[in-house]
Amino acid sequence: MSRTADPAAAVMDLPRRDAPDKLAGRTRYTVDMAGPGTLHAAIRRADIPRGRIIRVESGVARQMPGVRAIVTAQDAPGTHGIGISDHPLFAGKEIRYNGEPIAAVAADTLEQARAAAAAIIVEVEALPPVLTMAEALSPSAPLVHEGWKDYGVLFEGGARKGNIAWEAKVVRGDTDAAFARPDVTIVEGCYEVGRQSHMPFEPRAAIATFEDGRLHLVTSTQVPWTVRAVTSSLLGIPSSQVRITVPPVGAGFGLKFDCTIEPVAALLAWKTGRRVSLANSRQEEMATCLCRENAQIRIRSAVTTEGEIVGREATVLMDCGAYGGEQIFLTTMTAHTLGSNYRLGSVRLSTRAIYTNTPPNGAFRACNGVYNTFALERHTDEICAAIGMDPVEFRRRAVFRDGSIGSTGQVFEGEVLVPMIERMEALKQKSGSREAEAGGRLYGRATTVGSWFVFVGPSAATVNLNADGSATLVTSGVEIGSGTMVQALPQIVAGQLGIRPQDVVVKAADTDAAGYDVGVGGGRTTVSLGAASVKACEDVLSKLLPVAAEMLQTSQDNLVLGKGRIEIAGRKGSGATIASVAQRAQALHGPVTGSGSFTGQGVPSMAGCAMGHFINAIDIPIFAVHDCEVAVDPDTGHVEILSYKVVQDVGRALNPRAIHGQIQGGVVQGLGYALHEDVTIDAKGRIAQDSFETYRIPLAQDVVPVEFELFEGAPSIGPLGVKGAGEVPILNVGAAVACAVANATGKPVSRLPLTPPRVLGLLVSDEPPLDHPHIGKDWSSNVIALPQSVRAG
Amino acid sequence: MTMRLFINGEERSAAVHPLTPLVDVIRDELLLTGTKSVCREGFCGACTVHIDGVPTMSCLLPVIAAEGKAVTTIEGVGGPGNMNAVQHALEEHDVVQCGMCFPGMVMSMTAYMERRPAAPRADIKAAMSGNICRCTGYERIIDALLSIAAKEDTTA
Repeated sequence: MSRTADPAAAVMDLPRRDAPDKLAGRTRYTVDMAGPGTLHAAIRRADIPRGRIIRVESGVARQMPGVRAIVTAQDAPGTHGIGISDHPLFAGKEIRYNGEPIAAVAADTLEQARAAAAAIIVEVEALPPVLTMAEALSPSAPLVHEGWKDYGVLFEGGARKGNIAWEAKVVRGDTDAAFARPDVTIVEGCYEVGRQSHMPFEPRAAIATFEDGRLHLVTSTQVPWTVRAVTSSLLGIPSSQVRITVPPVGAGFGLKFDCTIEPVAALLAWKTGRRVSLANSRQEEMATCLCRENAQIRIRSAVTTEGEIVGREATVLMDCGAYGGEQIFLTTMTAHTLGSNYRLGSVRLSTRAIYTNTPPNGAFRACNGVYNTFALERHTDEICAAIGMDPVEFRRRAVFRDGSIGSTGQVFEGEVLVPMIERMEALKQKSGSREAEAGGRLYGRATTVGSWFVFVGPSAATVNLNADGSATLVTSGVEIGSGTMVQALPQIVAGQLGIRPQDVVVKAADTDAAGYDVGVGGGRTTVSLGAASVKACEDVLSKLLPVAAEMLQTSQDNLVLGKGRIEIAGRKGSGATIASVAQRAQALHGPVTGSGSFTGQGVPSMAGCAMGHFINAIDIPIFAVHDCEVAVDPDTGHVEILSYKVVQDVGRALNPRAIHGQIQGGVVQGLGYALHEDVTIDAKGRIAQDSFETYRIPLAQDVVPVEFELFEGAPSIGPLGVKGAGEVPILNVGAAVACAVANATGKPVSRLPLTPPRVLGLLVSDEPPLDHPHIGKDWSSNVIALPQSVRAG
Repeated sequence: MTMRLFINGEERSAAVHPLTPLVDVIRDELLLTGTKSVCREGFCGACTVHIDGVPTMSCLLPVIAAEGKAVTTIEGVGGPGNMNAVQHALEEHDVVQCGMCFPGMVMSMTAYMERRPAAPRADIKAAMSGNICRCTGYERIIDALLSIAAKEDTTA
């Protein structure tokens, strides 16, 4: 072994270096950093879902005690967005959702800021809102964005029309021919899910100052570079004049994958020349949460008696709320979450992001995948019932094998899902059934599959090998709780350089110090920052090893790194410490530094299959198999989880203990989604849940220990063969619980969450199956326009 | 109005309205930011402190109600180098994630584990129901707490 470090050197249960401080309350999150002398900001928000702003008068408010500045749309007239630039910082002429910012105040105290915000006179003309996707798609619906045609499109290719903010399509093969075959059973189902609120303990918060003429934002974000770009654009200053630093983040789960309140704090700091702190109250955080979107799905499949899926058509409606945001990008994901797990002879998919006058939605752990997996797996069990096949046997036959083709024509390599199903079957066998614990209640069980993926995107890393033999890793990575920055990355760097992970200093994100990064999310962090770090280490070694070879009078190929030393292979103790080589290198050539960059090289797909997709093929597929046993109380509709099992495709498990933490935490978040996390929109377009009391997230007594097995060795372009492990554990929880409840009750489970009233409703009523009249049964009625060639086919 | 408090063994004073929530005095006046203010309605447990040794949600308690009593915050129970048994077990079992709930969790469970060091799993779960955690899914925290009694058994 020389330059190519043994990947196993990076595998260990490294403890978190941030744990002692976090356990002692010493960690300073953004919300802990305001301190004395800082101005506090408050936002005046709309209290209607749709209307025209006639007048905003802040003169009286400006004269109130302690008030230092007030800003409105006039101070930041631009727009931002992902895919479409449709989102202003403040509502100027139009209000598009209840809770939309109209103005913001900076004052000496938070109470003064809030009082002044409330005193701003806002005169509006209320207009009838569009609150549901069904309303938004009706031909007579008002347009949420009357000027949609004039918006800047930041990414070409998506079809758009009126309240359809974006449409992504997949067309591969001839589904008409498949559905016309005489030997197939046709199964059709409709599914629906509500929103999920992230509820991170630290709300979105930012502190802004101007230092030497440049803006410095300390913020609780997952995407420092997005905040840098959006804030500079809205303030009309060069992005090089904005510095973003990120302390430990009190959880994100995707909520902090967009720029939100940072430009408001920045504007107020600019106006006052003072340090300004802005943090959402819990009520504001929930009212404006960029939730996992509510969605409605129709799927139709043509299946042979042998379990071959010869044709599938699906339409997915995603509510983006008042602005396109993340949902524009997320329409891409259906191709993979509905189309990269079962082998499909032919497929047509339409995914539409729909504007409504409701709070904008955003990204949430395994975005889009969680509900598409729910819909797909319920649909799969309905197929099994229709053709009379055991659900596990059907999945064995129908899931991806080595060489299977995804919906967009991407070729998937390796036998992964089938052996994972077998691992799950063995785990079920080993653990036995908990049916006896159901007592007099209805018992059910289900095993589900799911597919997720890592979109790697660009990352940069710098490694300084210090003369004392330690290393400093500089990236734009953020520690949001998942452990990447305190476990995976120092483990990778230590393994590459042959030093101890505790001797790898990891610098917190600072856009003045580190290169560009897409952000922490989607399971990409360990993969992309890890790959950039590996390259930076290779750069370090290319400078270090020639010096070592000269010092040790041997060739570079003979050198072995480990335990802080560079040895001559096969001659233990023959070498020198890495510190002494680093000192020698520093004396000869200057300090040893290395830089590394990474981005996905792209994966081929079939030309013409995918339309309106931000990516046509996926860099790293990730598969999961979940199994769940439930007991359903027929009198109350309460669902108890009796057992939960996970087999997860992790590539290589760098820190198995940390992955266990992600699996237990992710599954429990999924149980909340499946059973009781219920976001509803009231008649005024508000999110009705405004507290931990009204939005019920799992408590200690709601949960069970998750049994799990890590499936290693599946192909991955990730460094050392890793895949992201933190995103995917939530993926098929809704699916597994729903299928188990359907199994227990014999009823068609088509909606999440499965709250007791909903389950009771299923048990006692004979209502017809869920239907979405606004999603046409004819798939081609659910697309804006198809290329001529496809229409003709 | 000047309020006098005994916090972590020291006498401190703060010029605040007597009905100010204790958590705001601790965080904003005394700058002890370890105690977290998360839901502000007594539901999540992140602001838990000890008042005369009893775990109490400091968001619901007006500061005047703490006058003359011994208040212990997370800064007063131990830290790196001298962690208490609960902190030590949580660190050893690698259960911390974002960390925002842990100061409150440590305060609640330190008092509970002192009172009931050999509590069974189900009782620990019940005792933890006033402390919400969004990251971890709880079970590994409970594993860690159960290890305290197990460890005492082997060292006894």
